[in-house]
Amino acid sequence: MRLHGKRYVVLGAGAFLLIVGGLAANFGAFAHKAKHSPATLKAFDEVFMEQVRIGDLLFHGDPAMQEEFGVTLSKTGMACAMCHPMSADIHPHEFPKFQEQMNEFATLRDMTNWCIEKPNEGEKIDPNGGAMKALEAYMYWSNRGSKLDPGRH
Amino acid sequence: MSEIDRMRRHMDAELRKPGEHPDRSTRITRRTFLHKTFLTGTAVGAGSAAFGWLPLVNTIDMAFGATAQPFKFAWISDTHLYPKSVNTRFVDKAVRAFKEVQAMDPPADFLIFGGDLAQLGDPVELELGNQLLKEVKIKKVFIPGEHDWYLDMGKTWNKLFGQSPWRFDHKGVRIIGLDTVGSAPDYWSAKKMSPKERMDHMSVLDGTVAGAWSGLGNKQLQWLNDALADWPKGSPVIIFSHTPLYEYYPPWNFWVRDWREVHEIVRPYTSVTNIHGHVHQVLYNEIGTMRSIGMLATSWPWPYAPTGVPALTKPMVRVDPGDPFDGVGWGSLSFGAAERIENDYMMWRQDVLAESQVDSGTGDNVNQILSPRIADGMWPY
Ligand SMILES: [Fe+2]
Ligand SMILES: [Fe+2]
Repeated sequence: MRLHGKRYVVLGAGAFLLIVGGLAANFGAFAHKAKHSPATLKAFDEVFMEQVRIGDLLFHGDPAMQEEFGVTLSKTGMACAMCHPMSADIHPHEFPKFQEQMNEFATLRDMTNWCIEKPNEGEKIDPNGGAMKALEAYMYWSNRGSKLDPGRH
Repeated sequence: MSEIDRMRRHMDAELRKPGEHPDRSTRITRRTFLHKTFLTGTAVGAGSAAFGWLPLVNTIDMAFGATAQPFKFAWISDTHLYPKSVNTRFVDKAVRAFKEVQAMDPPADFLIFGGDLAQLGDPVELELGNQLLKEVKIKKVFIPGEHDWYLDMGKTWNKLFGQSPWRFDHKGVRIIGLDTVGSAPDYWSAKKMSPKERMDHMSVLDGTVAGAWSGLGNKQLQWLNDALADWPKGSPVIIFSHTPLYEYYPPWNFWVRDWREVHEIVRPYTSVTNIHGHVHQVLYNEIGTMRSIGMLATSWPWPYAPTGVPALTKPMVRVDPGDPFDGVGWGSLSFGAAERIENDYMMWRQDVLAESQVDSGTGDNVNQILSPRIADGMWPY
């Protein structure tokens, strides 16, 4: 967890400097943000894709990555990807919705934790923690192009 | 046009000639009923739901060649056993399927085990499977799955279950068992992978590192050609393979890479039935003169691929992830006296087949942009 927290901060700080660098002279007088340069956008993208990569490893049950985050996503030997190749049959674009298995209105993070706890018999993770964010990044990235359709079953 | 679309068009143009199909008289009916064999109850596993111990059976009847005598056989595959210390869930389901096959009345002529007995090719897993399979006393034949192979390159598998391919004639049917997993192009040597790393990459369905690993290879294609050479063109042939003998969805390795050659070889034979595992789902397809039937896993079901589900498939119901006994099971196939094959999906649930896309999931994510694993590109080799 520490390592990836740091990585995130370093990349984030890099992007931040790129943005505010041009504004430094009159900072305080204007709150407007600077225009985006290709380098800025690339830095943003790198932050995102690093989270996707981490999420991919967690989603495929990588033991080292789970250890870094201090999470146990499964105790059955099953990984998320074993029922959801390329994130199939997850439909992140349909949340929030009434989720049958949980018998409640649920977000993608709620459902992720349900899968970890029930079929995988793992330990529920912090819904706002780094592992959840990375898993979410991977699931959304794997479903990009999908039409937002909240509530759909 | 994507590579998959291009291949599909090629396959259709080459292999779906007007008027060409398996058995001109082919007729498919489906019905669902309670199988009397199981009314007395068999093993009841933990977590099985209300209907879990009374499998409701779905049957696909097909007219078949005229030369065969009636017989029945059972298919079990994709048990994906871990050592008992890791997980007994898959063990429970495998045991249940083995017990149910042994309880068949009248008994099946033989059991075909269609591969993926083990999860990570561990000799402990394969030996566990070998022990559990002792429950089944009828004749057993075996073909390997990729999960059985890539730790020791089939050494333990071949020692316990014999080599593939093989053939035998049974009551007027030529029966062939293929090895569609053992001839992967070498993806490990250049990257200096350990046997465990090699197996780990192979075991990831949506991984890219192992490449197009499923195929027969030239030697086996030649063998298949020879194995059919003396067989009358109109007599029935059953080909068992772990992976489907057509290209269903290559990004998940739901295919064999040399399917074109396979179809060239079987083309002169008018009654060919391919029965395969690996996809962990109900599938039915006809290409040229060959029909393919996809069988259930006992371990867990895969969702239907985003594209390429054969139009002839009547899909199964999307699984309830909270019930480990849902969406899995085994298969019983029989040649009826009326020259038919009956395929019973022994699925441990109430309704086997879906009537709508909301229940099958086949219409999901039409807009989804699919991507190979990002982590594969960064693998530290
Ligand atoms: Fe399998
Ligand atoms: Fe397989």
